[in-house]
Amino acid sequence: MRVAFNLNGRRVEVDVEPGEILLDTLRLRLDVRSVKRGCERGECGACTVLLDGRPVVSCLLLTAQVEGREVTTVEGLREDELFGELVDEFNKSFAVQCGYCAPAMVLTSYAFVKRVVEGRSRPSTSEILKAVEGNLCRCGTYPRVLRAISRVLERRLPGEPRR
Amino acid sequence: MEAARLGISKLGGADTLCRGSDPVAARHFKVSSITFRGAVTAEDPRSVLRRWLEAETLLVVGRSIERADSLEKALGRARFVEDFLEEGYLVARLALARTPHARLKAVKCSPALRVSGVLRVLTHRDIPGENQVGYAIPDQPLLAEGKVRYYGEPVAVVVGRDPDAVNEAVDLIELEAEPLPTLLDPLEAMERRDVLVHDALDSNIAFRTRVRKGDVEEGFGKADVVVENTYRTHHQEHVYLEPEAALAIPDLENRITVLATIQYPHLGQKIVSRVLGLPASYVKVVAPYIGGGFGGKDDEGPLVAARAALAAYHLRRPVFLYYTREDSIQVHPKREAAVIRYKSGASRDGRLTAIEVTIVHDTGAYANRGPFILWRATMHSSGPYYVPNAKVDGYCVYTNKVPQGSFRGFGNPPVHFAVESQMDQLAEKLGMDPVEFRLINLLRPGNETLTGQVLESSVGIHEALRRLAASSGWRAKRQEYGQLRAGRFRRGIGVAVAWHGNSTSRGVPDWSNAYIHVARDGSVSVYTGIVEMGQGSPSSSHRQLVAEILGCPIDKIRIVFGTTDAPDSGATHASRGTSVGAIGIVVAAGRIRSRLESFLSEYYGVERDRVEMSRGQVFVDGEVRMSWEELVALAYSKGVDLSATGYFFLPKGTFNEEVGQGFAYPAFSFIAVVVEIEVDTCTGRVRVLEVHPALAIGKVVNPEAVKTQVEGAVLQGIGYALMERLVFSADGKIVNDNLTDYVIPTFHEVPAIRDAIFVEDLWEFGPFGAKGVGEMALIPMPAAIANAMSHALGARILELPATLERVYSIARQTCGG
Repeated sequence: MRVAFNLNGRRVEVDVEPGEILLDTLRLRLDVRSVKRGCERGECGACTVLLDGRPVVSCLLLTAQVEGREVTTVEGLREDELFGELVDEFNKSFAVQCGYCAPAMVLTSYAFVKRVVEGRSRPSTSEILKAVEGNLCRCGTYPRVLRAISRVLERRLPGEPRR
Repeated sequence: MEAARLGISKLGGADTLCRGSDPVAARHFKVSSITFRGAVTAEDPRSVLRRWLEAETLLVVGRSIERADSLEKALGRARFVEDFLEEGYLVARLALARTPHARLKAVKCSPALRVSGVLRVLTHRDIPGENQVGYAIPDQPLLAEGKVRYYGEPVAVVVGRDPDAVNEAVDLIELEAEPLPTLLDPLEAMERRDVLVHDALDSNIAFRTRVRKGDVEEGFGKADVVVENTYRTHHQEHVYLEPEAALAIPDLENRITVLATIQYPHLGQKIVSRVLGLPASYVKVVAPYIGGGFGGKDDEGPLVAARAALAAYHLRRPVFLYYTREDSIQVHPKREAAVIRYKSGASRDGRLTAIEVTIVHDTGAYANRGPFILWRATMHSSGPYYVPNAKVDGYCVYTNKVPQGSFRGFGNPPVHFAVESQMDQLAEKLGMDPVEFRLINLLRPGNETLTGQVLESSVGIHEALRRLAASSGWRAKRQEYGQLRAGRFRRGIGVAVAWHGNSTSRGVPDWSNAYIHVARDGSVSVYTGIVEMGQGSPSSSHRQLVAEILGCPIDKIRIVFGTTDAPDSGATHASRGTSVGAIGIVVAAGRIRSRLESFLSEYYGVERDRVEMSRGQVFVDGEVRMSWEELVALAYSKGVDLSATGYFFLPKGTFNEEVGQGFAYPAFSFIAVVVEIEVDTCTGRVRVLEVHPALAIGKVVNPEAVKTQVEGAVLQGIGYALMERLVFSADGKIVNDNLTDYVIPTFHEVPAIRDAIFVEDLWEFGPFGAKGVGEMALIPMPAAIANAMSHALGARILELPATLERVYSIARQTCGG
């Protein structure tokens, strides 16, 4: 079947199997390699993409379901200023080890940071944890990811009260 | 360009550090300290290592320079094995045995071969070389032959045009097999001779170890307090986020080339060549970026490579072999499940008098690295303490379960769970503070270890624990929480220390090597067999070592890692990436530096000690004379050889296996942790609140990178102690073979991990004195958590993991309702 959607701001049309998951379409048909295969049952978060700006796991999504929608991966955010700032903080915070979870971790963090920065409200620690809890990292970069997110938020929302 | 546009600081602090504008060089050495005469002495590996160990000033080593791989990984550009899969490549998956123990008569392939798109099913019959891949004992086939010994054992490789076809076909593979009785309990398997996992042996004991030191009876006679317990620990699954995979390409560079999720490419080369019956020179193995290893890809990596290579060998086309998550969990070896009986005694003045220990490891269907793991556990079973009398026996026992294998800590987390639980109980009986009791017994320079090896230097654990007790507020918190044993939530604080031998054991050869080449433009390529699996040695410390020694800008250095085209640098395991594994880099870089110094001395007509190379510049008497690039161009024009290898063979001693006495390891890394927890007595939930680490690991090449290793190991230790448990069915199948049912720590389990205290107890052969660190923090974590739980609840947990049910039942006994 033929499915059309926006991938990183560009319209794509692909022929897929009816039961094909978005993860396979992205990796095998559209050459998007940043989206990683980890468990194929929605537990690890390594295959996270943004669907209309919100993080979803692409292994639990049929490609047919994204017809007409906007799919974003890290490849589509390389020009984005906030994304660049976040990646820079990931680097400075040593928030990347093996890196297999890294694109997904950055994407999830980015979606959250973007939302709270646009809403101009500084989130509580538990709200941050809630936002990123679906992404697993076996190397244990969690404290560093939290540090990177916090540093961006401190800079972007300096005077805002903490919720 | 793009980095600048993104606002990403490409080199972070590195460029400012390494190409300073300050014309006065910070000197690496005192002016009169250079005593080398001629190139032969200056290039001797020991001289090079000593020279840099004794350097007065370091500009790059010891600084938290950002990793070279973070950006490409975060931006999704870093390539892992599966990212090299291209259209038109064949794909392959393993067919696994669905029986735990059976005599194998035939693998029925016809139904699978009828699936459209399936091209070939390969079994043991298709192996042109040897079907033998055991590391410690030749007991393991690449593909089952004659017998199936565990549920999940690979029996065939199914090759096809697409994953759908292959996935359908693997389920159609049936075995013609005669079922045999199954052994799942190692204590039972030890006693049985009527059922044998390996028919050629007369028992199920694969390997034994022993220590006989002093007189144990006399030692217990002198003891005023004695504690005796049996401890049980469980299998741990690695859950690297990237499952195993390999891509084998025949005839690339006239060799078969295999990209694999592997921690030791040269071992992969050896196994592939053995299985295919080819000389090693016809096999190239490459580890691109690896999505986590933790030991698991050290065991399974060469086998994944060999199975993919077998398929490519027969089909003459590139073949991509992949494990699903479920395949991964069913197939690859796990952390040792152990039963440890431990008796220890101490005198009234707080000195250990004797230990008597029996260690039983469930090695599963194959020995794999089990004998090495048992050996390590045995020779560390005293903990880092002086023990005058010891009797230790170890048994590595076959069962019909998934094999035991390498996992961060390699035998030491279970044995330290036992030792350090014992230490707390002895202290309690003596009425002593646990830290004070440990300080009395901890090894100091000049002391002899359990195996009678005298450690003359690099023993910093005493200082580490003393400083840790002060910085963590141990004494006050211990008293405060101890008085608050009431209410639903109970706090506890616990301590544990650990040691871990660097390098291979005994006289087992270990070496390091690297090849460094400086190109005409001043760029530097460093070739190493060490892989990048997240630990960061190629991405941070290796670059720092080279930048320090050559004095070149760090952005000029490129590490070519994880390839058999580099010299064999040994495996990336045993915490050796920046320690033993990097010695060769120091030696090679030191040789090139030495040549450049000789050249500059002659060129400027000055003594060598007036020349300095650092920050990308050449100085004579503190004045800038030329840049690194100018130096390289000039050296080329004058015929200076700017390529070098750095082979170093570690000196070792002798060992008597009969009594377990002698030289065990060239050096030991040490750690102490203080852990604060909270127990919910109504639910049994244990939360680790704070972790305070202190390490004696020689030179710390990159402090922030080391801290991230500590954090990762702490989290895996929390998982091992509190959450993770493999569940086996009655026929030995792993029931929870997915990430829904096998649970690992998430963001919610992260405690406050305090900045590590470092005691830089330099090791004479380590790069700038560095010892291993990667595994360290995992080793004491289960014990420290157990000790904190005991402090909180007034009762002790003897079996891991401390699941909700177990903790709840203990809490009910001691705290009521």
